Amino acid sequence: MVPFTYLEPASLDEALALLAQHGGEAKLIAGGTGLVNLMKQRLARPAFVIGLRALQPLAGISENGGLKIGALATLQSLATSETIRRTAPLLAEACGHVATVRVRSMATLGGAMAHADPNLDTPPALMALDAQIVARSHRGERAIPVEKLFTGYYQTVLESDEIVTEIRVPAQPAGSGTVFLKFLPATQDDYATVSVAARVTLDRNGNIADARVALGAAAMVPVRATAVETVLRGKPADDRNLGEAAALVRDAVDPIEDFRGSAEYKRKMAVVHVRRALAAAAGNAKRAL
Amino acid sequence: MRTIKLTLNDTAVTREVEDSRLLVEFLREDLKLTGTKESCGVGVCGACTVLIDGKPISSCLALAVHADGCAVTTIEGIAEGDRLHPLQQAFLDHGGFQCGICTPGQILAAKALLDAKPHPTRAEIQEWMMGNLCRCTGYYKIIESIAAAAGAE
Amino acid sequence: MDGASLSGKAVGQPIKRIDGVAKVTGRARYAGDIELPGMIYGRTLRSPHPSARIRAIDTSRAKALPGVRAVLTGADVPDALYGRMCKDVPTLAKGVARFVGEKVAAVAADTIEIAEAALELIDVEYEPLPAVFAEEDAIQPNAPVIHPETVEVFSGAPVAVHGELVMYPPIRNVISRLKVHHGDTAGAFAKAHRIFEHRFSVPAIHQGYIEPHTCLVSIGADGLVDVWAANKGPHIARAHLAAATGVPENRIRFNPVVIGGDFGGKGSLMDIILCYCLARAAGRPVKMVMNSFEELTAGNPRHSATITLRSAVDRDAKLLAIEARVIFNAGAYAGFVPVPTLHGGYGELAGAYRVPNIAIEVLRVYTNTLPRGHMRAPGAPQVTFAVESHIDMIAREIGIDPLELRRRNAIAEGDHTPLGEMRRHLRCRETIDAGARAFGWDKPKAPGIGYGISIYEHPAGNFGRSTVALTVGTDGRLTIQVGSPDTGTGFHTIAAQLVAEHFATTVDDVEVVQGDTLTSGFEFGASGQRLTTTIGQAIAAASDKMKRELTALAAERLNCAPGDIRIGGDGSFSASGATIDRRALMGWAAARGKAPLTCEGVNAPEPSDRTSFAAHFAEVAVDRETGQVRLNRVVTAHDIGTVVNPVLHQGHIEGGLMQAVGQAMSERLVLKDGAVITAHLGDYKLPTMMDIPALETVLLPGGSGAAPFATTAIGEMSNVAVAAAITNAVFDAVGVRLVELPISAEKIVEGVSKKASAA
Repeated sequence: MVPFTYLEPASLDEALALLAQHGGEAKLIAGGTGLVNLMKQRLARPAFVIGLRALQPLAGISENGGLKIGALATLQSLATSETIRRTAPLLAEACGHVATVRVRSMATLGGAMAHADPNLDTPPALMALDAQIVARSHRGERAIPVEKLFTGYYQTVLESDEIVTEIRVPAQPAGSGTVFLKFLPATQDDYATVSVAARVTLDRNGNIADARVALGAAAMVPVRATAVETVLRGKPADDRNLGEAAALVRDAVDPIEDFRGSAEYKRKMAVVHVRRALAAAAGNAKRAL
Repeated sequence: MRTIKLTLNDTAVTREVEDSRLLVEFLREDLKLTGTKESCGVGVCGACTVLIDGKPISSCLALAVHADGCAVTTIEGIAEGDRLHPLQQAFLDHGGFQCGICTPGQILAAKALLDAKPHPTRAEIQEWMMGNLCRCTGYYKIIESIAAAAGAE
Repeated sequence: MDGASLSGKAVGQPIKRIDGVAKVTGRARYAGDIELPGMIYGRTLRSPHPSARIRAIDTSRAKALPGVRAVLTGADVPDALYGRMCKDVPTLAKGVARFVGEKVAAVAADTIEIAEAALELIDVEYEPLPAVFAEEDAIQPNAPVIHPETVEVFSGAPVAVHGELVMYPPIRNVISRLKVHHGDTAGAFAKAHRIFEHRFSVPAIHQGYIEPHTCLVSIGADGLVDVWAANKGPHIARAHLAAATGVPENRIRFNPVVIGGDFGGKGSLMDIILCYCLARAAGRPVKMVMNSFEELTAGNPRHSATITLRSAVDRDAKLLAIEARVIFNAGAYAGFVPVPTLHGGYGELAGAYRVPNIAIEVLRVYTNTLPRGHMRAPGAPQVTFAVESHIDMIAREIGIDPLELRRRNAIAEGDHTPLGEMRRHLRCRETIDAGARAFGWDKPKAPGIGYGISIYEHPAGNFGRSTVALTVGTDGRLTIQVGSPDTGTGFHTIAAQLVAEHFATTVDDVEVVQGDTLTSGFEFGASGQRLTTTIGQAIAAASDKMKRELTALAAERLNCAPGDIRIGGDGSFSASGATIDRRALMGWAAARGKAPLTCEGVNAPEPSDRTSFAAHFAEVAVDRETGQVRLNRVVTAHDIGTVVNPVLHQGHIEGGLMQAVGQAMSERLVLKDGAVITAHLGDYKLPTMMDIPALETVLLPGGSGAAPFATTAIGEMSNVAVAAAITNAVFDAVGVRLVELPISAEKIVEGVSKKASAA
């Protein structure tokens, strides 16, 4: 482990002030599952580590049309929250798929967003739910759509003086069904070979009013498949339409070849799983109608 | 260095720790509680599982300073004197371990499960426990041990 | 003695493990749990090059770091090379590094953090050299020579080898070449009805023990060297440490510790010699723990292998002959294994079949990759995957049921083994049939579902020395001292049960003590499913002696001739109406200065004509579109003798099965340019509790082993052949043959689409 000075602000303002002071030399820590691993491997060597755990108001969940989720809410608390399971089951599913219960009990949703690991399950889920993150600095606050958050491998648009404080999930349109699929051909605790989050909204005729599809482990960043979404609008949710739309995901993804598979195989699996996710989400939407 | 205060196995503990000290190092080296094991170092294997405020965590990924103000439970803290915890007894009765190196972590993870859900299904046991790797038993007797402990309670 | 005459108190009973309370309470002491006053920590700098000359090492900046107590390079350690058979492993690289991860320098410092900071301050100047990674490339005449100097070979292999063995033959980079011929292979191929040839490849996999290699060395003011190490064979380890350092064996004490899993990987010394050198240089006790990254990238995993099989078959689908060629990739050093070639690598090449003619060639070769070691039945899982796939492929190509082909060729009473030995009580077909019945082999299956079978034959290990010391105390209680740790197998509990059985008592009466290497007799340790047999023989010998001594005492006490004494079912001694129990007898003897009594027992390894069989059946569901394989259920059938402890026995079946599931489904050390890139457990995937199949175990009691109480072995039987049952089931489900492990969903998809486009 690399040596560092640990600071534990008692309030958000204090945290923002510390961050403004130390900037690039400081790293924020919530659950620590991401940062501690990086520090142990000497891939991160911050002089200061700023602990956020005293800022417990940032762990709450409030429901007001949509959802406001405090950035410090743990993935396990979200996976098991009645509120989340009722209003955004996709997010609960995705959180429940992350690693193991131990990691989920430590890792926070805000931390997962800022960590920006492209293999993580929560970013595609939040993209499909049209969520935004709220980032605060001493300069002010801004909301960033999750799909605009990620700029590269473990990289985001967040500035070094910003703290993710909240994740906002809008109220889901009536007639929506969602699903999260994680393809795990080796062991059940593995990273996904590809993961897909999908939301399909049906109109009163049963045609697709809107669709949102996002993938994890499919490129250097979590990916939203807008081409798939666009072509589906207004069409019946039948096998042929879903299959044709899913095929378009080939060009939306840019997978990295590794021991989980070749880039070509991952492309194929993206197509298969987007098709299956769309069908399952449409099925859930029909049941909701 | 920081001073941390925690409740460790129902006993109040106040200690100075290095800012960068990991919880597993704090337990094993500073407090000599070597029942907690370290293996993979990346939060996958579960050998270092301890409970913080009842929740299972990887002590190889947790900062010791994050235990400040918390209740920490380790394998040394769950028996009552010479009377084994029902899970310890069940692992003993049903062959839930062989080499034993993963066993403290297995038992603590199972304790967190049964504390939250006293009568889990077999599938719930498997889902919850999948983060605790065991190379000896093939898991069958661990499941049997946990199910037996749940039945006994 | 056989199973019929058991007391019902000890052998055959589900006794709780004697190390159980310590293990469930966290009180069991593993090497990493030992701390000594003044103890410091050792860490190593490892080569980033697969092959390089080390031009210069500058340690001055590291030495200047406060808290650093010793910095060593190859120039500072003894010249003696370590090796359990081939002496080729330097303590630190001397002049040349042969794999990515080879130890080039070492630091001992007050904390691990300081030691690691010091490693970053060591400057090494490397000159990269040509490297070779694949076993088949390494034997080409133009391949770089990895060990140009002559390697000393220790001549005392524990197990005899069949055929013609040549160490370091004149083939580039070959460590050993074994050729075994039996019968007339050429003649058999000449008259064959059909000939089949297939090629297989199996990757290196890590043993997966959760406790990493750990050692602690302390050198006393009197020169006594104390060692605590995660090593399964302390007596053998001591001999190697003595040879490497020049310290006499009786000045080295390996202290008893609990071992956190072995599976073959904890027989090598790993860091122990280096740890001694650091402790010597620093004047402090030094602890070294390999982290998980080091374990995966520079441990001593299972050999990868390329296996080619060619079989001649007659009109009745009976095997006439098998030709086999195996090349095991040993990595950069051969020293981590104690045998010239991997024994399972040839002994299993004709499987559990009647094959009158065989011609086998097995090579072990150097490459510029991490050194390989032993793992659960060394060589056998690789070779058996090939054999049991090959047999399946022959059945499919001929068009007969793979189970029927196995039954037709199964070795049976009166057949010679492929190596020309004659064995008795062969229950291969019975084992297959019992498993098939439980599995429902003939039951119809849905599309995408496949059934697979594999079989295995192997005897219990009956080699290597086991020594025990049995003491009857003045209170009549029994203490058995053994010389090696329980690596997790339950061998100490088994020892207690065996002793209790000899004295018709319960294990509550028996204490098991693991001595250190100064006080205990020699024990070869866990290896080749031998311990229940060999420790059983040693305990029987000690118990027989002890009973004679007790009988003599009882005769003295009861005023009769020893020949008049009868030992009762409760272990008491009687003659002409008078009876005395062991406790009373020893109390009497103690008052006369004749107790306690200690008797030593040594095993008598003899050739045995006994063996046992296993048959495994797997059901998989394969998703044709994604290639995903789900292992739904397994039936595993075992030909067994007396089971000493049913809970431990079943534990070995379940643990062995899941290690094989890992081998089949997910485990592979992936190498890129010679370096392991699956370098942590996030990428090297061990099976989890969510990955287990439904399991049914079928036991066929009545088999007969060479050991006391007619026990047989289970530790490797449960594991070796399982992977092929799973891949054979995949073929049954979707018609795609996997000739490499682990199963690749991607390869299945490719296979399915190739078949579709061919159709």
